[in-house]
Amino acid sequence: MSDIDHGRDPAATAALERRTQSIAALRRSAVNRILLTAIVLILWYFASLNTAAFVLPSPQRVAETWMNLITRPSFWDDLGITLGRVLVGFVVAAVVGSALGLIMGFDRRIGDFLEPVVIVINTVSSVIWAIFALIWFGLSEATTVFVVFMTAMPLILTNVWKGTQQVDAGLVELARTFRMSRSRILFKIYLPTILPEFFSGARLAFGFGARVVLIAETLGATSGIGYRLRQAADLVQTDQVFAWTITLVALMLTVEFAVLKPIEARLFAWRRVAAP
Amino acid sequence: MSAVALDGISKWFGRKADVPLHVLDDIRFDVPDGRILAIVGASGCGKSTLLNIIAGLIPPDAGTVTVGGVSAGTDAVVPLSVMFQEDRLLPWRSAARNVGFGLEAGQMDAAEKDRRIRDALGLVGLGEFASAYPHELSGGMRSRVALARSLATRPKVLLMDEPFSKLDPGTRSQMHDEVLRIAAAQAVTVIFVTHDVEEAVVLADRIVVLQPRPGSVREIVEIDLPRPRDPLTLEVAEAVRKLRALL
Repeated sequence: MSDIDHGRDPAATAALERRTQSIAALRRSAVNRILLTAIVLILWYFASLNTAAFVLPSPQRVAETWMNLITRPSFWDDLGITLGRVLVGFVVAAVVGSALGLIMGFDRRIGDFLEPVVIVINTVSSVIWAIFALIWFGLSEATTVFVVFMTAMPLILTNVWKGTQQVDAGLVELARTFRMSRSRILFKIYLPTILPEFFSGARLAFGFGARVVLIAETLGATSGIGYRLRQAADLVQTDQVFAWTITLVALMLTVEFAVLKPIEARLFAWRRVAAP
Repeated sequence: MSAVALDGISKWFGRKADVPLHVLDDIRFDVPDGRILAIVGASGCGKSTLLNIIAGLIPPDAGTVTVGGVSAGTDAVVPLSVMFQEDRLLPWRSAARNVGFGLEAGQMDAAEKDRRIRDALGLVGLGEFASAYPHELSGGMRSRVALARSLATRPKVLLMDEPFSKLDPGTRSQMHDEVLRIAAAQAVTVIFVTHDVEEAVVLADRIVVLQPRPGSVREIVEIDLPRPRDPLTLEVAEAVRKLRALL
């Protein structure tokens, strides 16, 4: 009976088999993740038994501290302030970086001329930008935003610029046979070509921005997560440091899986090749 | 009246620290309205350069090109489309949006655009594949989408640069039939470049034979055999043989 069914619709059978396989793979990877987490927690627990709490607090203690932390109203204020700084710096960096990258790619002479500037900015450490920002802007919002901007902007610029070099000259020639204007060629051929590169640059820039904002905040802010981290370190509240770290990791994972992955899947559906 | 006329076209390519390379020398021929002209010749005799000059993509160093009585390169252009050796479809656009690409150069309202896209896709028999992406289509279908894109702008002149050389022989002769049918139905003047003499004889009313170094007209051959032309029949085979002897 089942042989006959197989003979009748091999495509449906193959599809079903593929789905069963992918569900099994998903289950296996979920089990692995849980196992890994459990091992880390157990090791952490045993390591904390004979260690002072200010060096390595136990998992239970960190859990309690974390629960206390997130029920405090100031937690959400700090989280919001830090996220706001990252976002402002990132958005400005995305706009400026994309525009500069496009101009540098669209006109080779400008690209060649500005290339050293990009290389130099890329080699300067975020800490140096933070120190400069402190000198120039003092304890203000501009300090943290500037550090995020200087870190994120060259990453986006470089990727967009690289993207413009992948533009298919044949497609531009095609557009010219239709008498398309340069600005339309920019929008209809350059932009779609660089979008994947822009996206990977933006993802990198956001991750870096979210990390360097803490450096800027520990050095030059009176609010935000970085400021709280420094306070906790000064008072040797190691459990607080752990609690904040866990919060940040959770936040970045949420952004990655709840925001970036779905957007990417939607934007680049055209690249999805039929299942093997 | 001739749809396209070339008069004394010459072109040199500059070479660094060397005398410029003479690519085309005093090319002159014309194509009557609604007819099909083939340009054949060995590789390196400037066929593609010549086509690019007619398309207005590169300027000639001497001579004039007139398309529909208007000199090329001016803004008052007669609608003209170019089909390249590769299909040059935009991979991020569906078939329908690829067909509409040429219509986005100017201003056109959405309803008219949709109608033209539907007509053009129907003309090449791909009405059901409007929403398919290029990677989902076969080589022959992609070629049809490219043809539909060329037709959607309602061109008076269609230029083709070895358009089907990458297709397998069966698909290729299907595309030949398609081009003949559509060119006749839409009264399009076709100029195409090929290195395949048989393709030239099957499709063209007039064949310009180029010789290399510098590219110049060796002979212009009129083909007035009845259509459809089967390459296996005696008359067509004879014409092919004669033309081969010129190359």
